[in-house]
Amino acid sequence: MSLLALQDAAASAPPFFTYTPNAPDVLGGWLICFFTLAVFSFLYKDNPFYKLAEHVFVGVGTAWFTMEYYNEGIRKPLVEYVDAAREQAVRIAALGPNASPEAVRELQTKLGGYPIDPSWAIGIRAGAIVLSIFLLVRLFKNDSWMPRWPLAIMVGVYAALKMTGEVQSKLVLQVAETMKSPFTSPVDGTPLAWDVQVGNVVFLVGLVCALTYFLFTFQRNKVVHGMARVGVITLMITFGSMFGFTVLGRIALLIERVSSLSDYSGPEYGLFGAGAALSPPYVAGAVIVATLVALSLAKPSRAD
Amino acid sequence: MSLQDFDRRWIFLAMGVIVVGLYAFGPAAEMKVNQYAQSYFDTIEALQPGDIVLLSADFDPASAAEIEPMYIATIHHLMSKDVRIINVATWPAAPPFTRTQFSVIPDVYGKVYGKDWVELGFKPGDDVAMGNIGQSLRSTYPADARGNPIDSLEIMNDVGDAMRGIKLLVTLSAGYPGILEWIAQVGGRYEVPIVTGTTAVQTPDLFAFYPNQVKGFLGAATGATQYLQLVDEKLATVVGGKSELTAPKQENQKRMLVQFWGHMLIIALILIGNLIYFFGTRQGARA
Repeated sequence: MSLLALQDAAASAPPFFTYTPNAPDVLGGWLICFFTLAVFSFLYKDNPFYKLAEHVFVGVGTAWFTMEYYNEGIRKPLVEYVDAAREQAVRIAALGPNASPEAVRELQTKLGGYPIDPSWAIGIRAGAIVLSIFLLVRLFKNDSWMPRWPLAIMVGVYAALKMTGEVQSKLVLQVAETMKSPFTSPVDGTPLAWDVQVGNVVFLVGLVCALTYFLFTFQRNKVVHGMARVGVITLMITFGSMFGFTVLGRIALLIERVSSLSDYSGPEYGLFGAGAALSPPYVAGAVIVATLVALSLAKPSRAD
Repeated sequence: MSLQDFDRRWIFLAMGVIVVGLYAFGPAAEMKVNQYAQSYFDTIEALQPGDIVLLSADFDPASAAEIEPMYIATIHHLMSKDVRIINVATWPAAPPFTRTQFSVIPDVYGKVYGKDWVELGFKPGDDVAMGNIGQSLRSTYPADARGNPIDSLEIMNDVGDAMRGIKLLVTLSAGYPGILEWIAQVGGRYEVPIVTGTTAVQTPDLFAFYPNQVKGFLGAATGATQYLQLVDEKLATVVGGKSELTAPKQENQKRMLVQFWGHMLIIALILIGNLIYFFGTRQGARA
């Protein structure tokens, strides 16, 4: 690399460390490259670099999730909410017994979008805390009745929530969609394009045959058996398509990592101003490979 | 050594060589836009200046490779049309991505926080949180991600309970909770049109919902590239020449070629593996 190119790289060098989002820094570049290659090193075999990356990943992930869930699940809806409700309760009390209902309503706390008395709001939150503590009893006593109550409430609420929305979107509307004419437009009744018609017929045949495969209540004759066979083929094509999409996604992730390594291979990230040759991907890669080779030579394989 | 004892690390190496080699030296190629990506683009394109969109970031670092380009392009597209954005997240790891993008893109279009866009932040609770957002955005988020009371934000003057005032729900979804839960909890109940961008793993689930329950969708990195092409073309026409999305578009186009050959390698390996199994079984039967 020419001296001019090195000087240009030094002039546009990112800071060693910055809090600014979306702004690259040298430390971040080195960490990203090292941990990316450390994870990839598992493809060779399990090793200390991979173990380190795995533990750091789990640690950072746990810290982040704990912080987010504490902030959004405890601090805001409990600490801040109860604090605000307590302040509103004091204000309502200060209005005195002859306060107008409008003035009291103005100071009420909201729960699920509806205004209620602040003391009730605090009481309901306290009930939620008690139920949460009940859940933890399972840690000490497996067969206790206490965790069953909050679990029952959660299952009930969740079932009700799922029942309405899911049935509508994934059953009723899906069945309605299947009952349309495969040959004409549902909007104005005009004939559809030939390829759309063929596609609709294939879909219809596949759907009926796939459903036939799951008929186990009576003995199968030749027709039902044949339809079930077509149903199995339809299902296998579906699973193949899903597998293909999954592979597509995984390769996209690999490409993104390669792209990220490429981003940090510029001379501006190079050690001691030595240019791209000592940039994070090459140095981290060389360190990992050299260490793995050394470890491999130091520990003879079982076959030896 | 028989082929059945083949060391699988050679396969990893082959994939690595293809991906790194093509990424380093491969060209960027224009993609044909499919109807799903075109519908996503057209649905946003049909919005009017001043309309409000609920943008939900339902992804994390593991899916950012596929979803983040869609997210960036969608914000550019919406802001270039002067559509107002309410940004929420149902995944705890999404806020760093949303903060990063919203710290840069609104300045490009001169958008003001609280008036043109707002970030409400992460809300735990999965389906329940989504149901609550649909029922009442105000009671679900008493304050925005910066701690401002929700009613102090100008954009909220035009938003009511039961999704009133929201013209479109855009969800960039990487799994659970994501697009399927938004459809069940909000789309059907409040009749809000939905468009989505998803990871490849989730894409096959969406065909059944298109075009009635989902107006358009971007399937994986392929869909993201197609959408980047459409938005870049539109923005480049407005500003004349290159847009903010030209570089990300070219980067994604380059990745598509790599993805194609990576996929071809997998297909070839599946065929070879089946042939080895087939001939191995026949030899076993003869013996």
